[in-house]
Amino acid sequence: MKFKQFSRKYLSIPYGIFMAVFIVLPLIILFLYSFAENQQDGSLSFSFTFENFKQVFSSTNLIMLKRSFKVGIITTLVCLVAGYPIALILNNSTFKYKSVIVMLFMIPMWVNFLIRTLATKSAFNALGIPLGGFAVTFTMIYNYIPFMIMPIYNTMQKIDKCLFEGASDLGAGPFKTLLKVTLPLSLPGVLSGITMVFMPSITTFAIANIMSNNKYSLVGDYIQNEALNAANFNVASAISLIILIVIGISMFVVNKYDKDGSAAGGMM
Amino acid sequence: MNNSKIKSIALKSLSWTYVAIILGILYIPIIWMIIWSFTGSISFSSWNGFTFENYSNLFVGSLSDEIFSALLNTLIIAVASSFIATILGTAAAIGLHSIRKKWIKTTYSNINQIPMVNSEIVTAMSMMLLFQVLRRVFGTGSDVEMFEVILAHVTFCTPYVLLNVAPRLAQSDNKIYEAALDLGCNYWQAIFKVVIPEIMPGIIVGFVMAFTLSIDDFVITEFTIDGFSTISTLIYHKASGKKPLPSEFRALFTIIFFVVLGLLIFINKPQKEIKENKK
Repeated sequence: MKFKQFSRKYLSIPYGIFMAVFIVLPLIILFLYSFAENQQDGSLSFSFTFENFKQVFSSTNLIMLKRSFKVGIITTLVCLVAGYPIALILNNSTFKYKSVIVMLFMIPMWVNFLIRTLATKSAFNALGIPLGGFAVTFTMIYNYIPFMIMPIYNTMQKIDKCLFEGASDLGAGPFKTLLKVTLPLSLPGVLSGITMVFMPSITTFAIANIMSNNKYSLVGDYIQNEALNAANFNVASAISLIILIVIGISMFVVNKYDKDGSAAGGMM
Repeated sequence: MNNSKIKSIALKSLSWTYVAIILGILYIPIIWMIIWSFTGSISFSSWNGFTFENYSNLFVGSLSDEIFSALLNTLIIAVASSFIATILGTAAAIGLHSIRKKWIKTTYSNINQIPMVNSEIVTAMSMMLLFQVLRRVFGTGSDVEMFEVILAHVTFCTPYVLLNVAPRLAQSDNKIYEAALDLGCNYWQAIFKVVIPEIMPGIIVGFVMAFTLSIDDFVITEFTIDGFSTISTLIYHKASGKKPLPSEFRALFTIIFFVVLGLLIFINKPQKEIKENKK
């Protein structure tokens, strides 16, 4: 080892160690917990079991899982249908202060979701709209629509403008151009948007509880309850592991279509 | 000709109306909250007249001690974690920039991505388990509490620092560093006097972004905290109870909103500079 001589390379070592301890190791521990028998004191036992996964899919939980999927799918669909035209309008516009409007869509992404959710709750209360299923789904859409608009908009920004001119020169009308040029080329952004809305919307806790006065709980609330109230780390780990795998697969698919990472990049 | 012009104007106004409606839905609750922060009533049904009471109650009211200590904790965690994240991330970016082996770069960037793409609750859960295990191994108790939350925040902030600094380095000329060495700088001088000043805008944006993410975080903090509170966990515990949220919280939300707004404007400003420099 020629360690005596300094090289800039070594500057990357501290973060390498940090990542191993605080990113990789926690996921390994999560994996171990999800296959370990539950201990009273929450420690990690080394007896292997599938019991935790069985419990995740137990009949009482199936209702919660189904509800989560329903909320997640409706949220994602509404965000896509309502958000895509926004990205399209912003992309096509030549408005001088367009960047300000883009910024206006970005700001809510950075304002604490608890504050946004509580603000929505008070607005619902004032308007006399009852809390419950509709309120939960509405707040999800409200919270996550910027996460759909921004990746689609970013991908559209990267499309070569010549393609639109080419399409119109070759006789395609605006609608046909949208269908044959913009839509297919913006798909990586759409995929990225779907992953940024679907999983977070079913796994974020607090929103469903706040907007339904604790009547509704989704996957996130379930994990939080198991981990922090019931102190059953093993079941919470098992369901987290499933989420992790689903996210892993969807990231793999997104990366396949979005090779330069343009959709996910430039979010800030 | 005239017909198509009318059509395009109609389409344009229709589309901007749509944008305005969606923006309206996004902002009405926030604006609503800001307006009602200037009245004393707990419920939103009766306007008690204009007052700054909610704002002054943040400092002198019955909840002021609780709010103040939560605010202090939030700031300590945010400053410490964004500071550590900036140093770690910047050092890693400089190191990676000089590494030629592709597999090392890919491994770093893949692992670095995990906290950004992973569901917050999974990160939170895994961090909580890590601290559980570490506490058992080292026999420490809740005296390391704040330290744990800071480490958890460093974990999800550093990737953003790295991602802000790396493009700056890619733009910079590698020969300048070599020239500095040739002209008699030692390694540290070359890094601190040549490399760092060049990538400073990226470092600053990374730092502010880390700071913003840290003060804004709720899920990961809620899982790793115990025995004290930050602003967001305090809000959560006050909001999840049966009682309506005390009215001074509306003032607090308003202040947080404008602080985050300011930070965001700051983050976005230097980025424009990069684009201009490219031209």
